[in-house]
Amino acid sequence: MLTLTSVVAGYGGGMVLRGVDLHCAEGTITCVVGPNGAGKSTVLRVISGLLRCGEGEITMDGEPIGDRTPDEILRRGIAQVPQSRALFPTMSVHENVLMGGYLIRKDRALLRERLDMVRERVPIVAERARDHAGNLSGGQRRMVEIARCLMLDPKIILLDEPSLGLDPHSLAGVAGLIGDLHRSGTTVLLVEQNVRLGLGLATHGVVMEGGKVRMAGPAASIRDDPEIAALYLGGAPGTAPPPLPGGTAAPSDSQKGGAWTIGSRRPSHTGDRASPPMG
Amino acid sequence: MTERESAPKSTGPLRRIPRIHLIALACLLALLLYPVINPWEPYPQGVLLLGFLLAVQASAWNIISGYAGYVSIGHSMFLGLGAYTAGIMAVRWDVNPLLSAPVGGVVATVIAVAIGSVVLRTRGHAFVIITIAMLLAAQIIAVNARGLTLGSDGITLPLPFWGRDYQNIPFYYIFLVMVVLTVAFSAWLRRTKFGAGLVAIREDEGKAASIGVNTTRFKIVAYAASAFPIGVAGSVYAYYLTFINPVGSFAILGSVTIVLACLAGGRGTLYGPVLGAFVVNLVSEAANVYGGGDSARVLLFGLALMVVVLFLPRGLLPTVESWWRRRHPADVEFIDQKGALEARAARSGPDLPSPAVSRAARASDEAGAGRVLLEVRGASKRFGGLRAVDGADLTVRQGTITGLIGPNGSGKTTLFNLVTGGMTADAGEIWFDGRRIDRLRPWVRGHLGLGRTYQVTRLFKDMTVQENVVAPQPDARWRTMVAGAVRGHEAERARELLDIVGLARFADEPAGSLSFGQQKLVELAQVLMLEPKLILLDEPAGGVNPSMLGVLTGVIRELNAAGMTFLIVEHNIPLVLELCDPIVVFSRGRPIAEGPPGTIREDPAVMDAYLGEDFRLEPAGPAGPPAGEGVR
Repeated sequence: MLTLTSVVAGYGGGMVLRGVDLHCAEGTITCVVGPNGAGKSTVLRVISGLLRCGEGEITMDGEPIGDRTPDEILRRGIAQVPQSRALFPTMSVHENVLMGGYLIRKDRALLRERLDMVRERVPIVAERARDHAGNLSGGQRRMVEIARCLMLDPKIILLDEPSLGLDPHSLAGVAGLIGDLHRSGTTVLLVEQNVRLGLGLATHGVVMEGGKVRMAGPAASIRDDPEIAALYLGGAPGTAPPPLPGGTAAPSDSQKGGAWTIGSRRPSHTGDRASPPMG
Repeated sequence: MTERESAPKSTGPLRRIPRIHLIALACLLALLLYPVINPWEPYPQGVLLLGFLLAVQASAWNIISGYAGYVSIGHSMFLGLGAYTAGIMAVRWDVNPLLSAPVGGVVATVIAVAIGSVVLRTRGHAFVIITIAMLLAAQIIAVNARGLTLGSDGITLPLPFWGRDYQNIPFYYIFLVMVVLTVAFSAWLRRTKFGAGLVAIREDEGKAASIGVNTTRFKIVAYAASAFPIGVAGSVYAYYLTFINPVGSFAILGSVTIVLACLAGGRGTLYGPVLGAFVVNLVSEAANVYGGGDSARVLLFGLALMVVVLFLPRGLLPTVESWWRRRHPADVEFIDQKGALEARAARSGPDLPSPAVSRAARASDEAGAGRVLLEVRGASKRFGGLRAVDGADLTVRQGTITGLIGPNGSGKTTLFNLVTGGMTADAGEIWFDGRRIDRLRPWVRGHLGLGRTYQVTRLFKDMTVQENVVAPQPDARWRTMVAGAVRGHEAERARELLDIVGLARFADEPAGSLSFGQQKLVELAQVLMLEPKLILLDEPAGGVNPSMLGVLTGVIRELNAAGMTFLIVEHNIPLVLELCDPIVVFSRGRPIAEGPPGTIREDPAVMDAYLGEDFRLEPAGPAGPPAGEGVR
């Protein structure tokens, strides 16, 4: 569906991406992991058109989009949720979410339908509708940001660290939302430093380092690669950097279903109800 | 790989002089030689001379309006003040013009301090309006204070004391020397902690205040520093003109020309104002000669201002620079994660550079661990109908790593803002180290030893990483303010601190080019520069690669062992349980539980408010916390 072929791109100072190959198949969740500054967020920025692609090719459903403007790319169904500070702080939550539907502003009926859908999926949009977005806490803002991008019912959602600043409840909420999107057929490409969460949710994983893709494959195979785990996933037998009290350095498989994998926890406000197909 | 390539570039003993300084030097030589080569052409000399005058003004304006970002539209007032000082002194006391020039500068500076200490206490746009008002007021005073200024008749000054044969060549050299001095002064300022503080104010004034930058004092000093060279130039200019009157001396067009020159050349850069001054001066002269006089000039200025704003929003110099950089891309640095982890493993025990922790260590020596360092009593803060912090009490004891957890929206970050002075509490008291601090300005709290990082990093993105780390002011002394930011003791310390967080290689990169996680680490180094006794960390682990978390917790532990106290907000619960003791749980704006990690994990209220029922899922060992799984 979305393919990057030897993409080279960078900011003023130099090239951050040095030949990136990446493929997202339809209906998958792909999680990009890697050290800080490896170019993960830059990949998302190049895809959404916020950063010009220097060399190489980006195609969406076979059509090149590397030289398109951000709004053209958005129209094609690629929506990005940036890392931080993306809400308009002096606008209300409701207005912020409405802004997400800017491209479909002429179709009132569709706008209303989408708004209802978003309200149902992300309860905070209705609960705090009149509050200024600037008065929300970090986690609440995150939910509103994702809600806003759902207004366009995108084919692909690019999420830059959705877990950032979220408490366990909200984290479960966001993770549940991503799972819902996946089930309703949306393709997801996310960058995540909470790698256990990210790779736990994802069907595919990509490891980036130094502006290149170092490894790509099914999420499980990346999770289980011992060298990758030690270098980027925060620990594997023998090398775990954050030593924990009690001497248990590495998660065993039996613990994977434990408290901190999100799949096993479904808080009440997300509920177990099957989500309606979007749009 | 990249390390080997770039290492000689940054640390080689033969530092290459940047290309731009060489170009500037060549231009200076050409201008120095010009009157010697072509002495009998007064007209081009006169045009260049006015270019120098504008360059002095634009460079000086750049200090307050370029570096610190506070735009003054009345800056030609100082030229008029300098001119009138020289004129009045010559007419009344027959003072030698060479003596009156510095006096003109001093008068301009004194007036600037007087205006600045009233206006610059506030933030924002009031300053712009006041500067225009002051310019017009000065004109009116000059017209009406006839006893002093001879009113609209103006003052006629004596001719210069050198022979007619020299024409204007002495003026030419005087102004050229003043350009050099002003640019050198501006360059020196920019390389001190003071200069770094000014840019910090431009980029994020609230953050600047929180790292100990006394923003009021910085802005007043910058305003005064930008007035002095213009005042001196005004005194000399009065002699050059030999006649001054209120309308000519306090003209708004003069101010507009300064602003235009700076915008055209590149605001906030060193040479941009000089370049812009020459461009603007030549264009305005051409308009005068070929376009039909003064009115054409005004029209042309209007058009030029529009063209600059539309097509060169950043100015000539930055545009050329970024074009050059695109043509000659530099190698991008990446974190050598494998190397960093190995280096960490090889290190043993606390080996932090002593200056990083000196004040904290002193503090913990004076009064042993365990005494109350920070105490919040009944603090409240509302936003509209929402009680973000609701009568909260919190105690942080010396030498602890206190954890603060709670659901999103429970008021943790707001509490941080109340403690560090970003917001004022509606009610309650905050005591730090035996002093009540809730009415103190943010920078005073910084000087007392209170530092914080932000959930969403607030680095100064246009400054280099090193400048970011150098910018904090650990105390209120003037000596600290003028310490070098590029070389010297303070810069040395900044590099040591960057070494601690493993980012020394990025010292010369603009902070905005770093990734989010890297910026988090830079912010930690930045706050260490304050020599804090207590550091408030707002989600230090958010966005940091899980393998680097070990490095982060290691740094925190080492600093703590050396006497530094921490208060940490973090959602990575396993990390908190492992690192912090005691832990305070916040819910709905007030603490609901406090205690060691073991107790907190078992507390039913905590379960309900925050962790969720299924958190109690224990691994095989009954006592062990859920291991590595959650450590992101």
